[in-house]
Amino acid sequence: MEKHRPGKFIRTHFDQCTGCSLCKAACSLHMFGGYNPGKAMLRIRHLWENLAHIPVVCEHCVNPMCLKVCPTKAIFKDETGIVIVDQEKCVSCGLCSQYCPLEMIYADPETGKAYKCDLCRGNPECVQACPFNALELRDQD
Amino acid sequence: MSDSSYMGKILHIDLTREKFTDIDIPSWLRDSYLGGKGFGAKLLLDLVPENADPLGPDNVLMFLTGPLTSTPAPAMRACVVTKSPLTNTFLDSYFGGYFGPEIKYAGYDGLVFTGRSSEPVYLHINHKGPILKPAKDFWGQGAIECSQSIKEHLKDDQIKAATIGPAGENLVPYALICCETNRQAGRGGAGAVMGSKNLKAVALNGNSLVKIYDRKMFANAVAMAQREITESLDCRGLMATGTAGSVEFANETGLIPVRNFSDNTSALAAGLGDKGQSKKLWLGRSACFGCPIACSQMGAVRTGKFASFVTDIVEYETAAMLGTNLEIGDPRAVAHLNRLCDELGLDTISAGACVSFAFEAAGKGLINHLPDHELKFGNVQAAARLIELIARREGELGELLSLGVKQAAKQLGPEALSMAMHVKGLEMPAWGPRGTPGMGLAYMTADRGACHQRGFPAGYEATGMEWKGKPVKALELEGKAELVYSLQNYLAGTDCLVKCDFGAMGVSPETYALLCNAATGINIEASHFNRLGERIWNTTRIFNLREGMKTTDEKLPKRFVEEPLPGGPHKGHRITESDMKYLLQDYYKIRGWNKHGHPEEETLDKTGVIRDKTLSL
Repeated sequence: MEKHRPGKFIRTHFDQCTGCSLCKAACSLHMFGGYNPGKAMLRIRHLWENLAHIPVVCEHCVNPMCLKVCPTKAIFKDETGIVIVDQEKCVSCGLCSQYCPLEMIYADPETGKAYKCDLCRGNPECVQACPFNALELRDQD
Repeated sequence: MSDSSYMGKILHIDLTREKFTDIDIPSWLRDSYLGGKGFGAKLLLDLVPENADPLGPDNVLMFLTGPLTSTPAPAMRACVVTKSPLTNTFLDSYFGGYFGPEIKYAGYDGLVFTGRSSEPVYLHINHKGPILKPAKDFWGQGAIECSQSIKEHLKDDQIKAATIGPAGENLVPYALICCETNRQAGRGGAGAVMGSKNLKAVALNGNSLVKIYDRKMFANAVAMAQREITESLDCRGLMATGTAGSVEFANETGLIPVRNFSDNTSALAAGLGDKGQSKKLWLGRSACFGCPIACSQMGAVRTGKFASFVTDIVEYETAAMLGTNLEIGDPRAVAHLNRLCDELGLDTISAGACVSFAFEAAGKGLINHLPDHELKFGNVQAAARLIELIARREGELGELLSLGVKQAAKQLGPEALSMAMHVKGLEMPAWGPRGTPGMGLAYMTADRGACHQRGFPAGYEATGMEWKGKPVKALELEGKAELVYSLQNYLAGTDCLVKCDFGAMGVSPETYALLCNAATGINIEASHFNRLGERIWNTTRIFNLREGMKTTDEKLPKRFVEEPLPGGPHKGHRITESDMKYLLQDYYKIRGWNKHGHPEEETLDKTGVIRDKTLSL
């Protein structure tokens, strides 16, 4: 059972999203200890001059390209299926962010270190922060 | 040092010398003025040389945040503060959206521009720091278009930009600054100041973190503020219909402008309000950063002769000033004019007032019609053409109207004076005050001219809402000065955070204080905002008087004084010369100002205006 997804996942509802970015603010606080939605592990694609907002979250892929391209095995799947980056092993090569089609790897512009969603290990802050129910935590089954 | 939501420094950009300096924010400034409007009031007084030309290199253009901007404290904004080219006074103009927070993510509490660049430039800040870049290729572009162009040019879609359009480049004194996304520092001509500095845009993508003093306390305060918003009927109204919900309210209460304020009820209101807009325009909601209200109803003009384009909600002010005021009833047509103003970079309120001034003046034979367009109420094409001429200062009429109604009327002669709807040069917003004298006083005394956001007693007067336990009577003069004084103080105090007026309909003063304390580690109580506001009103007053503002100009447009209301619940009412005199004298007294409206020395001391310390760059 090496190839599996985590038991819980974030279901996005773009029709409920207003783009307010409270999810991203909560994520940045969780990851880095301060607010800056530009440093979040999820994105919001603002389409058609802000008419539509599409939240994009890490899928914790069955077949994660970020993991495959990492030359130092800094990216791995834990026993629950969550895809995680070990910043100690990360050499800031940027390959993982280059090969994530959803752009879900955040590379710190100053250090180049890769960061990504770890589902807050079970209780994602982004989901809790959304006042519009655009993010929902669901069970895989 | 413990964590705080202040970044602790301001970036000074000297455009003449292309020099950047980090200015540490002194503790006295933070203690006495908190942020946002407070910082702006004190810094404008300190940094702008006496009698500086608002469009000259000596004027200072500031983008300022507050301690809660950029945090999840609900509904926060930022502001632009400068000396207005329209009124020659203090100007603060507020904007929501995403540009304000990014100033802090870029590492600063504010950006202060001085001087003038010799060539068009834009400021770019990312993790590598600030740099001025040529803006020649963007000069001439629309404000929204330029925001997009810069992102493409920098290959960075995370940029949050503030831009000006052709109106700002052409120094139209009511040009706006367009702030990411669809949010404008609209009033008073900050866009012209930016244009005069040859500054086309500010493009930010910051890598700094905004820290919180006490995270647990802050999380609780945010939850409380969000709950207060959810439980507020006013906020719930804004969630459902934004400010478009005010169109029918203003019509029923006889506050809405029609044909340049010559009438105050309109059959077009229903079509321009939330019912009309939701049917013809709206598709989904959109929020400013961190706001659970999401008052924006985004939509598109899909059909008809103006199709097709994306449009934000047509805000009440715009629906009235470019709608009922011009007798244009199709929300798609008003959205078209709105979009034109946004792209060209013109304040929709002042633009609406200038177009209605032109329509009325043409009707009375004071100005000529355009060769291809008859200047008459209801003519959408004529309004659109005038807006373009104004933004480009094209032709005699474009040049004349681009001055604003005060100066335009002066040029046309005495007959035009009664059509010029303004106070101290700032065009009237869309709440006619003849049935609400408290609102009249708020306009007469607002620090930036005719503004409805420095105190909105009409909300009490038109509804009979209680103030200090007693229902406010619309037409009564007694007690209105105290109401205006109190509202002005509280709003100015909370404009330091920088709060949004809509969030403030729900969030209590106690919760604002709690949010501020938790974020910064300071210790203020709810009543602090009133005292702070009073200090600010005295600070901006000193500035305005120093710059030559005449208190004899604290008066309403002639029409409100001489012509009785033609309709609505207060039909027949006007605000007479003696009403104005009574209201003003009462107000000056409560403020501790002499009978000429000048603050007494004792008042300046008592309210804590800082005069022994100045910030210099």
